[in-house]
Amino acid sequence: MAAWDLSVTVEDLGPDAPPIVISVTSDLHIGRVILDVVQKTQLQRDWSDHALWWEQKQQWLLRTAWTLEKCGIHADAKLVLTPQHKPLQLGLPNGVTVRLCACFSRAVFHTVVEICKVLNIRHPEELSLLRPVEVKKKKKDKDHVQNIYDLTDVSLTSDSIPCLYNGMPVHFTDSPKAEDIYKMLSMCQPSPSPEALAKMYRPASIVDKTHIHTRWLDSSRTLMQQGVQQDDTLWLRFKYNTFYDLEPKYDAVRLTQLYEQARWAILLEDIDCTEEEMMLFGALQYHISKLAQSESQNRVSGIEDLDCALQSLELKLEGDKSGTTDMIENMTAPELNDYLKIFRPKRLTLKGYKQYWFKFKDTSISYYKNQEERFGEPIQQLNLKGSDVSPDVNVAGQKFCIKLLIPAPEGMNELYLRCEDEQQYSQWMAACRLGSKGLTLADSSFQREKKSIQSFLSMQRSNSGDQSAQTSENINTFSLLSPRYQKKYKAKQLTPRILDSYQNVARLSMTEAILKFLQIWQALPDFGISYFMVRFKGSRKDEVLGIANNRLIRIDLGVGDVVKTWRYSNMRQWNVNWDIRQVAIEFDGNINMAFGCVTADCKIVHEYIGGYIFMSTRGRDRSDTLNEELFHKLTGGHEVL
Amino acid sequence: MNDVCMCMCVCVCVCVCVCVYVLQMDDIDAMFSDLLGEMDLLTQSLGVEDVRPPSPKKEVNLSVGFTDLNESLLELEDNDLDALMADLMADLDATEKLAAEKKAAAKDPHPTLENLHLPSPDHASVPAPPLPPAHRASSVPVPTPVPTSAPAPAPSSSTNPPSAENEEQAKADKIKLALEKLKEAKVKKLVVKVEMTNGSSKTLMVDERQTVRDVLDNLFEKTHCDCNVDWCLYETNPELQTERGFEDHENLVEPLSAWTRDSENKVLFREQEDKYAVFKNPQNFYLWKKDKKALKDMKDKDKELLLEENFCGSSIIVPDLEGALYLKEDGKKSWKQRYFLLRASGIYYVPKGKTKTSRDLVSLVNFDNVNVYYAKEYKAKYKAPTDFCFILKHPQIQKESQYIKYLCCDDHRAMTLWVTGIRVAKYGIALYENYKTAVKRSSASSSWTDRINSTQSTPSPTPKAKAANGHVPPPPPPPPEPVPKAPSTQPLPPPPLMDVLPPPPPDPVMPPPPPLPNKGGLPPPPPPSSVTKNRGGALPPAPVEDFPPPPPLDDGELPPDFMPPPPPAAGVGFYLHGGEALPPPPPDPVGLPLAPPPPGPPPPPPPPPPVGAPAPRPVLPAKREGPAPPKRTTPGLSAPSGGDFMSELMVAMQKKRVQQ
Repeated sequence: MAAWDLSVTVEDLGPDAPPIVISVTSDLHIGRVILDVVQKTQLQRDWSDHALWWEQKQQWLLRTAWTLEKCGIHADAKLVLTPQHKPLQLGLPNGVTVRLCACFSRAVFHTVVEICKVLNIRHPEELSLLRPVEVKKKKKDKDHVQNIYDLTDVSLTSDSIPCLYNGMPVHFTDSPKAEDIYKMLSMCQPSPSPEALAKMYRPASIVDKTHIHTRWLDSSRTLMQQGVQQDDTLWLRFKYNTFYDLEPKYDAVRLTQLYEQARWAILLEDIDCTEEEMMLFGALQYHISKLAQSESQNRVSGIEDLDCALQSLELKLEGDKSGTTDMIENMTAPELNDYLKIFRPKRLTLKGYKQYWFKFKDTSISYYKNQEERFGEPIQQLNLKGSDVSPDVNVAGQKFCIKLLIPAPEGMNELYLRCEDEQQYSQWMAACRLGSKGLTLADSSFQREKKSIQSFLSMQRSNSGDQSAQTSENINTFSLLSPRYQKKYKAKQLTPRILDSYQNVARLSMTEAILKFLQIWQALPDFGISYFMVRFKGSRKDEVLGIANNRLIRIDLGVGDVVKTWRYSNMRQWNVNWDIRQVAIEFDGNINMAFGCVTADCKIVHEYIGGYIFMSTRGRDRSDTLNEELFHKLTGGHEVL
Repeated sequence: MNDVCMCMCVCVCVCVCVCVYVLQMDDIDAMFSDLLGEMDLLTQSLGVEDVRPPSPKKEVNLSVGFTDLNESLLELEDNDLDALMADLMADLDATEKLAAEKKAAAKDPHPTLENLHLPSPDHASVPAPPLPPAHRASSVPVPTPVPTSAPAPAPSSSTNPPSAENEEQAKADKIKLALEKLKEAKVKKLVVKVEMTNGSSKTLMVDERQTVRDVLDNLFEKTHCDCNVDWCLYETNPELQTERGFEDHENLVEPLSAWTRDSENKVLFREQEDKYAVFKNPQNFYLWKKDKKALKDMKDKDKELLLEENFCGSSIIVPDLEGALYLKEDGKKSWKQRYFLLRASGIYYVPKGKTKTSRDLVSLVNFDNVNVYYAKEYKAKYKAPTDFCFILKHPQIQKESQYIKYLCCDDHRAMTLWVTGIRVAKYGIALYENYKTAVKRSSASSSWTDRINSTQSTPSPTPKAKAANGHVPPPPPPPPEPVPKAPSTQPLPPPPLMDVLPPPPPDPVMPPPPPLPNKGGLPPPPPPSSVTKNRGGALPPAPVEDFPPPPPLDDGELPPDFMPPPPPAAGVGFYLHGGEALPPPPPDPVGLPLAPPPPGPPPPPPPPPPVGAPAPRPVLPAKREGPAPPKRTTPGLSAPSGGDFMSELMVAMQKKRVQQ
C-alpha cells in the first residue's frame, strides 16, 4: 500500500511548533498513528489522556482500532493531538467560578456527569452547561479580579460515588485548600451588595427570558465540537426543573447550589413573585445567611466552644445542687411584668394611651390598674393565641408600639401596646409573637426571637442613616430583595415586613430553611418554565413556548397570557424535521401542533422536551445508575442515532 | 356495705360530670392533695377495698370544675344523656377488664377509652335519678349496675397484698399516678352533640388531643355507616349562615371552643362529596380550564399522574385558579368584582389598571390565620350577586365582622374550585395524608364486612373477626391486647368469662334473627342484638354487613342480656333514636349476664374459663368481668380515639386498685 505523509499538530509542543509529519499507509490504526507521533516528539509524559482531533470535520478520532481509511482520513487532514480533558472555568450557580478539568471529547451530557462527580452533586442529569451572558466589560471592572477556585488537580480515585470523610467527599480532604473549596460549594454565599445586585442583568420581559435558553450547549455533542476552548468560561446550572430525591444527608452541595440558583432567580426576577412572597424569600435568605455565618464561625472555634459548653454545664450542675429554690423558680412558668401603655382605637373616642401594670403569662396578657393590684382580678385578660401581631415602630421617633389584633367572636379586637424603649419592646414583642403561635415564654425560641427583633431594630437604625452600611452582623435589607424594591420602598418600610415573615421561619434549621425556600420557589405558578421564541405552524407572528416538566405552554407574546397548554401525558409522539428546523408534536385525540424555533436552536427545544420525558422515567426503576443511553435516545435526534 | 355506699355517691357525681358541657379540671390541684390524704387513710382502714373510694372522690372533684350544671344539663336532651351514659358505661365495662392487665404493663400515659375503669353500674344508677322517666333505655341498665358494682371491688381486692412493703411501693406509685393524673386532668374535654343525616343525634365526649379522624372513627363504630371517605364532621354557624367540613387532622376541641355560649352552631356527621374530590378527580381542579368532556373522560392513569405531580413532589402545587369574583369590602354593603388569583401564599387580586403579573398583585389574605367556609343564601342575607359564596375568617370569629372576607362566585363549580383550592393551599400535604388515611380506613372496613359475611358461614368466625378488629381502628394494638391478656392477669377471670362467653353456642355469633329478640323482649336473640338495636330492629341478617365488622360479634352477646329486663321500653327508645342505639347495649349486659349463655362464642380468649362460670355468675364480680370482654371488642373502634374523660378516670382508679 502506498505510503503518504500525515501531519499532526501536537499541542504539548506549544502553539507555534510546526506539525509533526509522519509517513503512514491507509491501513494504519489510529492508535499506531498516535504512538508514532508521540515517539517523534521525544517528550516524556503521560499521554494516556491524549487523542486525535480532526479539525476540518470537527470530530474526535477516539476509536484507536480503526484504520485511517475507515475514518476517511487523507493526506489533507489536519489532525491535532490534544488532551481529552482540559481545564475549564466553570461558573457555579452560587456565582463562584471554579477551574477544573472537563472532558472535551465526549458528549456534554457525559462531561457534566464527570464535573458533578468532582463537585459531589448527585443527579447530574438535571444540570447542564450554558454559555455565559456576555458582560460588557467596563474599564472599572478590570481591577476587580475574581477569586477562582482551582480544582484541576483533584483526581477521582474510583468510578463509584465518593465516600465521605468528615462529612466531606474524600477527594476534598487532601489539602486545606480543597477543604475550603468544599466549604464554598456546600455553604451559602453571603448576600450580594445592593449596588452589585442593581448592576446585574435582569430580564425585563418574557422575550428577554427566552434568550437565556438559547445558550444551552448541546448535550449530545462534545465541547470541542461546540467550539469551546480550553479555559473558556461556561456556566453550570440546573436545567431541568424537576429535582429528584433531594436528600440533605447526601446532597449538601446540590442543595446549596440549587438554593443559590433559586435565590438568584428570585433576586434577578427570572421568576416573578408577589410582594408577600418576596418578603418571605427575603426573610429566608436573611435567616439562612445568618445561620451560615454562625456555622462558619463555629467551625473555626469548634474545640473552644466545646470547652465553654463543658464549663457552663459544670456551673449549671453545681448551681442546681446548691439551690432548690432555683429549681422551683425554673419550674414555674416565666412571665413578664411591667408598666406599659395601652390604646384601644374605637370609633368616636380620642382617648390616648393609658398606663397599666401588665403581666404576660403563658399565652395571655393581663393588665391591672397598678403594680399593687397585680394579685387581684385583672382589668382584662387577653389570650393572644391565634392573634395577629405586628410592629408599629419608628426608631428615629422612639416609638415602640405593638399592634395586636386579637380574635373574638365578634371580630378582631384591635389594640396597641406602647413600650418605653427598645429593650422592653423586644421582650414584649417576642412574647406576643410566641403567644400568637400558642407558645409560652418558656419556649426555647424566646431568646432567639428577642435577639432577632433587636437586630432588625438595629438594621432599621443603620438603614435610615446610610444605605450601604453593611457589616457582617448586619445584612442590608435591600440585598435580600430584587432591586425593584429599592426604588419602590424605603428600607425602614421593608424591614418590618421582612421581620414579619421572618418570625414564621426563625425556628428552622439551615437545611429546613433551604428546603422551605426551594419549596416556595417551586410552588410559584411560573416555576420551572423555560421560555422559547417560536413560530407556530400556520401563524404569522412570533409566540412564546413555555416548556415545563409536565407540559408545554403556548403564550401570547404581547399580553403574556397563556393561550393553551398541552400535557406530556397526552403526547403520542414528537418529531423534528431537521431540514426545516420544525418540531411537530402529536397528542391524544388527533391533536397536532408544529412550530419552528425563532431564536434558539431547534435541537435545544427538542432536547428540553426529551429531557423532561427522560426525567419522568426516573422514578420508575429505582436504580441509581444513570441511563445515559436512554437520555441520548430521547434527546439526541437523528444526528446521534 | 361501705363500699357500695361510696360507690353510689360517686355515681351521682359522675352523672353530673357527664352532663357538663365543658369539663375543665384546672381546679383540681387543691382537691387532689386532699384526695391523696384520704386515699392513704382509706388504704389503712379498708385494705383492699379502699380502691373504690378514691375513684369516686376524684370524680367529685371533677364535678367541682363545673360552672352551671343546670344549664348544661338542660342543654342535653334526655335521649342524648341516655346515649352518652350508655356509651360511657360501655367503655367502662370494657375497660375494666383491661385495666388490671394494663396496670401490669407499662403505664399508659394516655389512657384510652378502654381504660375506663369506673364501675359501670355506678354510672348507670346515677343517671337514673336525675333523668325523667322518659328514658327507659337508660333506666334499664341502672338496676343491674348496682349489683355489679358491689362485686367489682372483690376482684380487685384479691389482686393485692396488704404487706407493708407493698404499701410503701403502692404509695409511691400512687403519688406518681396522682401527678400523672394531674396532668391528665388539664386535658380539656367537651361533650359534643353530633347531628346525623336523619336528624337524630349522638352525643360523645371528645378530648382536646383527639383529631377529627379519631372522632370519625368513633362515629363509624357507632353508626355502622359505610365508612367511605366522604364522611366528615361539618360545622354550621346559623348566625353567619356558614358551614365548613373539619379536616381530618384538625383537633375537634379547638374550633368548638371558639363557639360562644349561646351559640346555635352545630356539628353534623354527614357525607360531603367535595371533601376529597380533589383527590378523586384531580383533573377538575388542576385542569379546570379544559373542557368538561375531556375532564370527564380522564383516565385513571392520568389522574394518578396528576396527583403525583401535584402532591408527591417536594412542594405541593396549588391549582392555578383565577377569575373574576365578587368581593364584599370591609364593612361595605356593595359587592365589587375583581380578578382574583390563587397562589400557595394566599389569595391575590389584580388592582385596577394593572395586569396580572405577579409583582403587581395585591394580597387579599393569606391562609395562616383564616379558614374557608361555604356561605349559604347570601343573596338574601347580604344581597350577594349569587348564592355561591364563601368567606374567609379567623375561626374564632363567630359573628358578622369587618374582619371577614366575603367572596361570591358565578356558579357552584367556581365556588367548589375556590374553596377546595384554598384548602389545598392552606393544608398542603396534610390534606393528602388525610385522604390516604381515609381511604385505608374505608377499605379496611369494607374488607371487614366482606370478611364477616364469609365468617358467618364458617363455624369459627371469631378468630378472624378479632384480627380484623385490630385492623380497623387506627390504633389497632390496644384493643386486641386487652382481650387475650385480661383473663390471665385478673385474679378472677374464669367466672366472668363464663358469663360472657359460654362456649356452647359458637355459631350464634352470626345469628341473623336479631330483630326478633328486640321486639320479643329477650329470649333467644342474643348475638346480633347490638345490631338490631341500632337499626331499630329493622335489620335482619343483612345489617351485619353494614356495621364495622368487629363489634357485631361481641355486641351480639351483650345486647341480649340487656334486653330482657326492659324489653318494651328499650325497643321503643332505640327506634326513636335511630342509629344512636349502639352505646347503650354494653352497660346492660353487665346486669344480665345470667340470661345470655347462648351468645358466648365470639371472644376467643374466654373459652378456657367457662367451666367454672355457672356458679360465679350470680356473683357480682363475675358479672363485671363477663361483660367486659365482649364490650372490649365493641368499643375497640372507639378506643382509638383515646379517651373519654370518664374512661381515663376509671383507668386511673383501676390502676390504683391493682397496685394496692
